[in-house]
Amino acid sequence: MLRKPTHRRRGKSEQIELNLVPILDTMVTIVAFLLFTMSFLVLAHIESPFPVASMEDLKEQVKKKPLQLTLTLREKEAQVWSPFDLVPKRIIANTAEGIPDLRGIRSVLFEVKNKFPTEQKIVLVPGPEVNYENLILIMDTVRLIEKTDPPVYFKDPATGQDQVAKFLFPEVVFGNLLGDM
Amino acid sequence: MARSRGIRGRSGRKKINTGGFDLQLTSMMDILIIVVVFLLKTYSVSTNSFTSVKGIQLPYTATQETPPDGLQVIITPEAITFENERILDFVQSASAVGTTEEPSYAFNPTDLDEGGRRIVPLFDALTKAREKSELLRVQSSARDEQGNPLPFEGVLAIQCDKRVNYDTVRRIMYTAATAGFRVFRFLAMKKEI
Repeated sequence: MLRKPTHRRRGKSEQIELNLVPILDTMVTIVAFLLFTMSFLVLAHIESPFPVASMEDLKEQVKKKPLQLTLTLREKEAQVWSPFDLVPKRIIANTAEGIPDLRGIRSVLFEVKNKFPTEQKIVLVPGPEVNYENLILIMDTVRLIEKTDPPVYFKDPATGQDQVAKFLFPEVVFGNLLGDM
Repeated sequence: MARSRGIRGRSGRKKINTGGFDLQLTSMMDILIIVVVFLLKTYSVSTNSFTSVKGIQLPYTATQETPPDGLQVIITPEAITFENERILDFVQSASAVGTTEEPSYAFNPTDLDEGGRRIVPLFDALTKAREKSELLRVQSSARDEQGNPLPFEGVLAIQCDKRVNYDTVRRIMYTAATAGFRVFRFLAMKKEI
């Protein structure tokens, strides 16, 4: 008489049921924690000081003749110039949509940066009609060097070695805050 | 199959139906893992308490610097809010009333002085905030090297709707400067790079 077949093999192939309930509890707790502590309003900032100049500073400036690179934004054009004529005046027409030609401005500013690599400051003179969105775009354009931009080298005065500039003109000052409305 | 369809098999079927209900947790786990991964990828924690107002449209900036906490003024096309308190409403231009065109807003002439440069209600609010901050610094135990109270930093964060013109921003900066604020932080939404 044949023996009854063993159930051992069948028992081995049975799947073990993983208890998912505690893992699920942990997951739900993590999701709740992340949702509660998450900040949905992710802000960044661009800093600009209020221009303050005493008469002594002005006299000193006239003696030294700094670059004082200025970007004036008008209704139909943008102008890059220096009050002491250290760079030639350049006029960049606005795009067909009536907004400043950011690419054009950027290429002119790169030319200036290559000529004055240690210069950090730029004076911004926007017209009253420029909206805040364009103002932020302009500030980004004049401040930042993107990864795709050509590198700008400058000699570090402390070490005397060539370094790559991380920013174009990071110090933005508004030049017409005290002018007429 | 034939057994379950037959009358004899009915008792077995009943047993299955009335037995304990096994919830399929695997698919739920899959969903939760996807949600957790998504949240971790987009997770950001803010160290400041800046809030916003309803309807404001903030522009995007490529700058990645996170603003530290501080006093904040919010400008929408309709009003100016300082530290969650609405301090000024713009006046809607008469030409836009009753038409479908986008309304334009302007300052009420009585809210301005110094030749239209300074916004009076904002100046009052900012002066109060500066005085309060200076008083707190005097009362605080923190002192500089000479033993004097720490100076007022004079930093103002400006959160502005993207449609607002520089004309308005300029007035706000001028007003803040006359109230003792010397540094401005322009806030915008951080663009993911």
